[in-house]
Amino acid sequence: MNSSHSCKASNWIRFLRQYGPIPRNDNMYDEAIQRVLKRHKEISAIRFEPAHLKELVDNFKSNDPYSVILTGTAGDGKTFYCREIWQALLGSLDQWDSSKKVQYASVGDKTLVVIKDLSELTDEKNDCLKKMVDAITGNNQNEVYLIAANDGQLMEALASVNSDIDITPIRKEIENLLVLDKRETQKFKLFLYNLSRLNAAHIFPKVLEAILEHPGWNECSQCPFQESSEGSLRCPIIENKKRLEDKLFQNRLIDLLELCELNGLHVPIRQLLILLANAVLGHSDAKDKLMTCEEVPRILKEKKASLASVYSNILGENLSARRRESTTIFEVLGRFGIGNESSNRIDNMLIFGEDDPELSNDYKALVGIDPYYGANASYRNLQKAYLEGATPEEQQQFLDLLKIQRQRLFFTIPEEQQKEMHLWQLTVFHYAGEFLNNIYQALKEKKTERISNVVVAKIVRGMNRIFTGLLVNNKDELILATSGSFSQAKICRVFEEFISVQKKRGEYITLELDSDSNKPTLVVSLSANTNMQKAKMLLNLTRYEYLCRVAEGALPNSFSRECYEDILAFKTRLLRQLFARRQEEREEGESENYMVLRLITELDSNGMLHNPYSLEVNI
Amino acid sequence: MIRLPRPLNKDIESDVWIDEDIWGHRLYDEQTPWLTFLEFLGIVQSEAVEGRAFVEKTYNALKYNTYNRLYLRNILFNNPHLDAILAEPIDNDNQWKKWFEHIQDNCGGIASPDFSYLKERFSSFRDFVQAVKFLQSSSIEGDSNKRWSSKFVFPYGPHCLYEDLRVTNNQASNDRRFFARTGELLYLMFCRAKRGQDVLFYLKKLGLVDNKEFNKFHLSKWDRLVATLQPDKDSQIIERNRTSPYLPYLSLPEYDKLAEDWISILGCDMPDYDAIPHLVTVTGLHIIIYLLNRAKETLKQKPQPTFILEIVAPEKTVVRDLAASSFLENNNLSKEAIKEHIRAIEHTSEWGECEVAHDPLDSAFDLLEKSFAWPKAKAKEDAVGISSLDKLLDYLCKKAITRHETHLGKFHRTWSKEIGLSSSRGSRRIRYAPTDSLLKTLVLCTVPFRMEFQEFLSELHSKYGFIIGDRQAIETINTGTADQEAFSENARRLEQRLISIGLLKRLSDACAYVQNPFAMEDFQ
Repeated sequence: MNSSHSCKASNWIRFLRQYGPIPRNDNMYDEAIQRVLKRHKEISAIRFEPAHLKELVDNFKSNDPYSVILTGTAGDGKTFYCREIWQALLGSLDQWDSSKKVQYASVGDKTLVVIKDLSELTDEKNDCLKKMVDAITGNNQNEVYLIAANDGQLMEALASVNSDIDITPIRKEIENLLVLDKRETQKFKLFLYNLSRLNAAHIFPKVLEAILEHPGWNECSQCPFQESSEGSLRCPIIENKKRLEDKLFQNRLIDLLELCELNGLHVPIRQLLILLANAVLGHSDAKDKLMTCEEVPRILKEKKASLASVYSNILGENLSARRRESTTIFEVLGRFGIGNESSNRIDNMLIFGEDDPELSNDYKALVGIDPYYGANASYRNLQKAYLEGATPEEQQQFLDLLKIQRQRLFFTIPEEQQKEMHLWQLTVFHYAGEFLNNIYQALKEKKTERISNVVVAKIVRGMNRIFTGLLVNNKDELILATSGSFSQAKICRVFEEFISVQKKRGEYITLELDSDSNKPTLVVSLSANTNMQKAKMLLNLTRYEYLCRVAEGALPNSFSRECYEDILAFKTRLLRQLFARRQEEREEGESENYMVLRLITELDSNGMLHNPYSLEVNI
Repeated sequence: MIRLPRPLNKDIESDVWIDEDIWGHRLYDEQTPWLTFLEFLGIVQSEAVEGRAFVEKTYNALKYNTYNRLYLRNILFNNPHLDAILAEPIDNDNQWKKWFEHIQDNCGGIASPDFSYLKERFSSFRDFVQAVKFLQSSSIEGDSNKRWSSKFVFPYGPHCLYEDLRVTNNQASNDRRFFARTGELLYLMFCRAKRGQDVLFYLKKLGLVDNKEFNKFHLSKWDRLVATLQPDKDSQIIERNRTSPYLPYLSLPEYDKLAEDWISILGCDMPDYDAIPHLVTVTGLHIIIYLLNRAKETLKQKPQPTFILEIVAPEKTVVRDLAASSFLENNNLSKEAIKEHIRAIEHTSEWGECEVAHDPLDSAFDLLEKSFAWPKAKAKEDAVGISSLDKLLDYLCKKAITRHETHLGKFHRTWSKEIGLSSSRGSRRIRYAPTDSLLKTLVLCTVPFRMEFQEFLSELHSKYGFIIGDRQAIETINTGTADQEAFSENARRLEQRLISIGLLKRLSDACAYVQNPFAMEDFQ
């Protein structure tokens, strides 16, 4: 192919590039996107159905609409929602003026007041909030509010409202909604939609589809670089798009996003757009690290197409470390450590796989098969050099390539090989697959029988080691122990009780999906008595990983201080429940002149605690 | 502020009364916050028995009784042969027998000791050993190299309270080595706080102090276990004829703030004795503030000391330097106060009279004896060769400062380290850098349920004078020594620390709440 061939630069690619992590990230803001779209009529917007939109619109259309506060982090689409709601209610955007801070419209017999960004208000803020308070307390029947604000600004603004009436109860209530993740309150005519609670893993497929199916790609059909030819690979932009269409890749990406959400890390929509724009266009050697159509011929000619690996772009590897760390999505995905973590199995295959008969099948199927981003010429050359004695420079280059290969493997190892290849050892969270499939998915599909005893046993063993500070192996019962003085002491030898995992007189330990947050929760029941609350602890990815690692031998204090404190706090709650049960059931027969103290003095040779040492004292 | 009269000169044992005049009799650096707490509890207990806990009928006239519990203390802390005897291949009766022989020969402070009551209280010698080991493992100062009579069993309840003693052969005497009256001052502070009786209620409820309002089983089994180790006669109160402590001011906001914080902690729903370490820590903090405030008053500075706190950063920061300077500045306050306090006499008319008197020095000796309890005879001996009044005051300053520096001058340094307020980690200078456990205590004292993070920072500032975030550091920032960014970084580090100990919930990049885990209905 003649690389002087030039292609006509695609408007769509230029538009998509604006979503990426470039210095002038113009498509960060809804207003900017609207301006571009107005200027370039030929580009259609990236559209997908926003969650909750219909119910929000229905609310405002109803006879007794409630005011709505939309909160969320930057990039959750607050302005976008305001505009969409406006359009749905009024039929057009003719009266929408994005330069106005407060906009009014008649909807039914009420006036809808839209404040698309509370932080833009200055002098009028106090007045507006006062009126909103009137609307949600029912004192003002004529107006209904739609306010977008990030939560911090909202609370600060409410705290500084200067009003004749005391608005503290309203502020407290809104704070409650925020902290407890609730949408409505019995007390006021108000809905609080926290857009940060939208699950990125659920939105992602929609965004992905909107981009992959975008009509703009049609422009590429005329491009001479869309297919590979003799002497040259195809355009990496097209290559990356095609790879993103792969279901396996998509699913693994969704898994990562799901795990982020389960770990309490929220990814706003804007970040998903950044992620995808970067995945398709990323290239460490391009201007601003994102390819343009104009650069493609040069990249192909210099044989640098492999630097556009979509699998590394997904993790922001094409960017400078600084930019990567300052971009939410890459910082969040970076916590998985994909590329830096590995197992001997994988690394042996990557390094020796070509010649080792035991590894060569895997190598062929997983690496050799992909001449574009896998075993391409530069990889093979460096691999060879590495094995035959490379210069330190070449060594380093090869190690860098290994990292890229591990990242590619994480997204391409087929489902059926996942277990055998220990896929999740390519991340920091070795037990993430287990957590996602055996716990989260099983709970979601209500297949609780699939949550094997093995999983709960492992959790219980981990907890026992933390609760006692001893290397115990008990897994069929939880050991509650204290130090006699502090419940949170590191080593606790005062035995309080065994709690059975299997159902036994109202005691049991199981996993459930929390009805509010939809996240896996460990539930410990101490009594069949319905008056006694069950003790619950949210089981996020980090906590699960922590418990598993402790169960397998790590020291409680070494992996995560935060988890250690969380689990000790949970123990404190369990003890409180235990004491409540004792009172309720008058369990412990205290006597005037006799008492028994139970101490954990020794474990058997298998590390099991059977019976505590009973110490009898006559008073 | 009403100042109470100090004791008469004849009742003053020391050779000069200056530290005591400012801070009371007395704050003592070697008495750690824990030992202060124990001394305090002992007083509460014995005064509660008399039915007058936290009631001060005559000011600064506290006289209380105490407990020795020497049997218990010998068993726990002066008893090295337990393991060896247990390991011997002899039967239970012989193990007891052998141990009785050992302990009878080696115990201290008891005339004609008899430990035989133990045998019928435990079903075996092994049980007894296990019980002793358990109590040893939770003791206070148990691992230290202090003398055995200065080690303490954890305060599970009234049977665990006793006094620090000096034991020689079969004699025991109170030498105030580690119970040096700081606990007595603490007791007086609660007597004079508005909510002293509320504190008493909680202490009784927790079972730390004996009480008839709660039934017998209210006292914990650990307290009963400790009681089992003592012969019945050892629970008796020992009457002592002793001098009273002196706390100079009738009422101070510090007393009330201390009590409020105690009530906040005791009101939390915590199991076991989890509240106690927090009480000890916060007591330490309030006494440090009390110390600095008295110094500031003496120096006629506005009260409420400030502390610049570095939330430990991986590298040296501007805030670290400022925290070190802040520490140094506060550390010097008490010494400055001493000078000021002595020099203030120059402005009195009495001093003026001395200057024009027939024998100025002689009159000055009289006045100094009256003012600072510096006995004239002793003073004349000390100050030989001094010719002018100014030099005499110089001499007295020097003398007072030398005395001050041996103990009270070290108080701020020792105690701030003890409670985890200061540290020299990663640096040669000591600075204010709070530990996790102090942070936890602060949350329990300050956050009833949950509180927005910035509000928390400003509460810490108004309650304790702590400067952490940029909004509290405005004065420092305005002097140009640090920029806003340095302090907002500092606050961000605090946030991370609080998250890592489960005390902060971040809602978004703009909003975070500090939560008190023991006040919450549903902790996740």
